[in-house]
Amino acid sequence: MAEPILEVRGLVKHYPLTTGVLFKKQVGSVKAVDGVDFTLHRGETLGIVGESGCGKSTVARMLVNLEKPTAGVIRYKGEDITQLTGKALKAVRRNIQMVFQDPYTSLNPRMTVGDIIGEPYEIHPEVAPKGDRGRRVQELLEVVGLNPEYINRYPHQFSGGQRQRIGIARGLALRPEIIVADEPVSALDVSVQAQVINLMERLQNEFDLSYIFIAHDLSIVRHISDRVGVMYLGRIMEIGTDEEIYDHPTHPYTQALLSAVPVPDPEAREHRERIILAGDVPSPTNIPSGCRFRTRCFKARERCALEVPALAVPAEFRLTTGPAAHDSACLFAEEKQVVPPEETR
Amino acid sequence: MSDPREPARAIAGTGMGGAMDLAASEAETLERAPGGPDGGAPTGKPRSLWSDAWHDLRRNPVFLVSALVILFLIFISLWPSAIASGSPLRCDLAKAQEGSQPGAPFGYDGQGCDVYTRTVYGARTSVAVGVCATLGVAVLGSVLGGLAGFFGGVWDSILSRITDIFFAIPVVLGGLVLLSVVTSSTIWPVIGFMVLLGWPQISRIARGAVITAKQNDYVQAARALGASNSRLLLRHIAPNAVAPVIVVATIALGTYIALEATLSYLGVGLKPPSVSWGIDISAASPYIRNAPHALLWPSGALAVTVLAFIMLGDAVRDALDPRLR
Amino acid sequence: MLLDVRDLHVEFRTRDGIAKAVNGVTYSVDAGETLAVLGESGSGKSVTAQAVMGILDMPPGRITGGEVLFQGRDLLKLKEEERRKVRGAEMAMIFQDALSALNPVLTVGDQLGEMFVVHRGMSKKDARARAVELMDRVRIPGAKERVRQYPHQFSGGMRQRIMIAMALALEPALIIADEPTTALDVTVQAQVMELLAELRRELNMGLILITHDLGVVADVADRIAVMYAGRIVESSPVHDIYKAPAHPYTRGLLDSIPRLDQKGQELYAIKGLPPSLLNIPPGCAFHPRCPMARDVCRTDVPPLYEVSEERGSACHFWRECLHG
Repeated sequence: MAEPILEVRGLVKHYPLTTGVLFKKQVGSVKAVDGVDFTLHRGETLGIVGESGCGKSTVARMLVNLEKPTAGVIRYKGEDITQLTGKALKAVRRNIQMVFQDPYTSLNPRMTVGDIIGEPYEIHPEVAPKGDRGRRVQELLEVVGLNPEYINRYPHQFSGGQRQRIGIARGLALRPEIIVADEPVSALDVSVQAQVINLMERLQNEFDLSYIFIAHDLSIVRHISDRVGVMYLGRIMEIGTDEEIYDHPTHPYTQALLSAVPVPDPEAREHRERIILAGDVPSPTNIPSGCRFRTRCFKARERCALEVPALAVPAEFRLTTGPAAHDSACLFAEEKQVVPPEETR
Repeated sequence: MSDPREPARAIAGTGMGGAMDLAASEAETLERAPGGPDGGAPTGKPRSLWSDAWHDLRRNPVFLVSALVILFLIFISLWPSAIASGSPLRCDLAKAQEGSQPGAPFGYDGQGCDVYTRTVYGARTSVAVGVCATLGVAVLGSVLGGLAGFFGGVWDSILSRITDIFFAIPVVLGGLVLLSVVTSSTIWPVIGFMVLLGWPQISRIARGAVITAKQNDYVQAARALGASNSRLLLRHIAPNAVAPVIVVATIALGTYIALEATLSYLGVGLKPPSVSWGIDISAASPYIRNAPHALLWPSGALAVTVLAFIMLGDAVRDALDPRLR
Repeated sequence: MLLDVRDLHVEFRTRDGIAKAVNGVTYSVDAGETLAVLGESGSGKSVTAQAVMGILDMPPGRITGGEVLFQGRDLLKLKEEERRKVRGAEMAMIFQDALSALNPVLTVGDQLGEMFVVHRGMSKKDARARAVELMDRVRIPGAKERVRQYPHQFSGGMRQRIMIAMALALEPALIIADEPTTALDVTVQAQVMELLAELRRELNMGLILITHDLGVVADVADRIAVMYAGRIVESSPVHDIYKAPAHPYTRGLLDSIPRLDQKGQELYAIKGLPPSLLNIPPGCAFHPRCPMARDVCRTDVPPLYEVSEERGSACHFWRECLHG
C-alpha cells in the first residue's frame, strides 16, 4: 500500500450547548464527532458513509480546517495540522482542498466564473504569476469539461452539474494533493451524477489526487472508493476495503445499512433479506452508554451497554486472513452477506 | 436531486434568460471538451445579478415613475433658480394669503411669500437632510452591524442590547427633548439626531444580512482556501449583504424627509430663515381656512417625495429579491 | 380504472416566455396498483401530479388541454367547490418535506383530527380518538401520549409517518406520494416504503409514487412511467423495464447509476443536460443527448409506440433499443 498522506487519530468535535444571552452557561454538548481514526494513503479514495447527523460533514470541515477539533490530531505527511496558524496553515491549505455539496450556494453569485476559479491564485499569489492566471483558469475550465469562453459568465447562468464542475475546478486550482468532497453529487440529477463521478475519477488519475469522499449513497461510494468507513453517531463503526465492507460486512449497522439500500433490480426484491432497524438515531447530545448503536441493534445484549467496543479486527477473525478480518467496532461481530452476489445483467 | 420544488425550480431555472441560452446551445457533450465543445457559439451575454436587477427595473413602471420624481427633485434642489426666479425670502405682507395669480401660480402664504418659490426651494433642504442622514445612518449602521454579524461573540451581544435600547426611544419625543436645546439654525443638528437614532435600524438589517451571507458555502470555500477576514468581508460577504441595506436605506430616506418636516413643524427641527416644507406647513396651518393653498402645496410636495422614495425602495427590493430569480 | 390521465398539457408563463412543463401525458392507475412516475427535475412529474390533485398554482400555471378522469368523472371540469371535496377525501397527497407540510403551531393530534372534524363533522373528542388510531396504524410508538406533541418533536421518519397518516385519514382511493422518502436516511427510507406498500395492500388503494430513484421504484412499483421534458417516454411493467429498456433515455439512466453489488469501471454518462422547458428541441426531445439519434428524430415527434400489450415506448427505434 502507498505511503499514508493523512492520518486522523482520536478526532473529536463537541459543540457546547449554552443558555443565557450575555452570560453564557454550558448545559451540555453536541457530540458531533466523538473519536474518529482513519488513514488516507496517497492516490486512494477513502469513502465515508453514514446517515445524516452521523458527523461525516463535521469530519470533512475539520480536515480542511474550517473547524478546530476539540481533541485529536490530523497529521498531513506526519505533521499535525490542527495547531497550525498563519503562514504554515496557509501552506497546508493549498494541499487539502474541498468540494462542497450544494452547487447553488458554494459559488459566489456576484463573481464571474473566472474570478471564482482564479481566486485561489489571488490568495496564494506565489502559485501563479499574475499574467499567467487567465490562461490557467481557462485551462482548468477545459480540464473539467467546460467551454473556456465561459470565463466571464456568472454562476446563475449554469446548471447544477456545470456549477459542480466549476467548484471542482476551483478545488483543483492550487494543485492540491488531497480533495475532501462532501456529498459532491447528491444535489445533482441522476443523469448528471455519472458525468461528475467520471470526471472526478479521471482527475484523480491525471493529477494523482487522494480523495476523501463523503456521501450517504452507498452505491456511489462503492463505485468510487478503494476503502470505506461507516460512521454512526460520531464514530467509525467499520472500516475496510470496498470488498470487505460491501461483501463481507461484520458490523450489524453496516449490514442493516446495506440491506436497506434499494437496488434497481426488481428480481432482487424477492430474494433479498431486509434488516429493518427499529427506531431513530439517538440525539448526539445524549449518546447511549457502551456501544452507541445498541439501541437500534438487532443483536444487542447486556454486555453492549457496559462495554465500548474498540475499532479493531474482532477477536473471532483475528487469526483468519479472509476478507472478514477487518476493523469492526462490534462485540459480537459476525460475517453476513447482505448484498446478493453480482449478477450479470 | 429532484424535489417538490421541482416546478418552482424548473420555472426559476427558466427565469434566467442567460442560463437558458446556455442550456440550449451548450452541448457539454464531451467528458473533456476540446476548445469549444459546441459548434454553435453561445449567444448568452454574461449578466451579473445587478444587471439582471437593472433589466427588471427598467421595465417596472413603479420604478420609472418614482425615479423620474426623484430625479426631478434632485434637479430642483441643485438648481432651484432654473424653475423659480425669485427668492424664497422676499416676502410682501401686502400680498399675504392671496391665491393663485400670474407670476405666483401657487399663491402667497400668510407672510406674503411666494408659495411656489418656497416649495421649490424647500426641496433642497428636504433632499439634503434626507440624503445626509441616510448616508450617515447607512455607513454607521452597516459598519457596526456588519462587523458584529461577522465576528459574533460578546461584541455582537453588546451591540444587540444597545440597538434594543435605541429602539425603545420614541423618535419624536427624543427629538423634542434633544433638539430643543440646540440653537444652531443649520441642518446639521437635525441630521446628527437622525443618524443617532437611525443607525440601529440599518445595523440590525446589516447584521442579519451578513450572518445569512456568512453561512453560505462560498464563504466557507474561500475560508478553506485561506482567504483573510477582510477578503471574506469585502469580496464575498459585503456584495451579497448590501441589497437589503440599500432597500431599507432607500425607504428610510423618505421617512427621514417626513421626520424633518415633523420636527420642523414642532419647532425643534429647522428654524427660519431656513426654507423647509415643515416650516411652511407649520406656518400655514393656522390659516388653513383662509389660505388652504399655502398648506396644500408644501404638504403635497412632501407626500409625493416620501411616497416616491418608498416606492423606489419597493421596486428595488423586488428587483433584487433572489427568490424571484 | 381508478385514475385515467389523458393527454394532459400544462404550461407556465415566465418572464422569458412560456415553459411547457407537461406536453401530453397519459397514464392510468388501478385500485391496488402502484404506478411509479420516474423523472429528473424539470421532467414534469410533479407538475402532472399537482394538476391531478388540483393544487397547481394558477397562474403562473395553466392547464391547456387533456382530461383527468377519476372514477369516471373529469376532474378538470368540476367546480372548485366540488374539487375540494374530492381532495383529501378521495385522493390525498404525501410530500417530500414533512416538516414544512405540517403546521408547526398545532399538535399532530389536532392536525390529524381536523380532517375528521371538517370532512366528517365529528366532535373534537371523537376526532382525537381517531387520530390516535391513525398514528397506531402508521406504527408510531406511544401514539396515545405523542398525539399531544408538536411536529418539531418528531424525527424525520416519524413526521413522514404522520403525513402518511393524514393522507390515509379519510381512506382515499388514491394516494399520490411525491418523493416521500428522498429527505430521509436509508434505514428510515426502508421503513417508510415498507409501510406505504403494506397500507396500499391493506386498503386496496391506488398509489402513484413520484421519484427520481430507480432503486426505490424497483422495490415497490408494479408499473413504471418514465418522463422526460414533460412527456412519457416509456411505460412498462416494472420487471420488463429493468431487464430490457425500450427507450434510450431509460437505458441511459439504468446504465449511469452505480451498483451496490459491483465495483464498476467508468460509469456510462448520458451526455449533455436536460432541455430547457422554454425551448424543447423539435422532434424527439431527447435527440440531442441520444446515442441512437438519426435524422428522423430531429423532425418527427415519436408517438408512444406499442411494444407489447402492456408496454409503450416513445422512440422511433425502440426495437433496436430493446434488442441492442
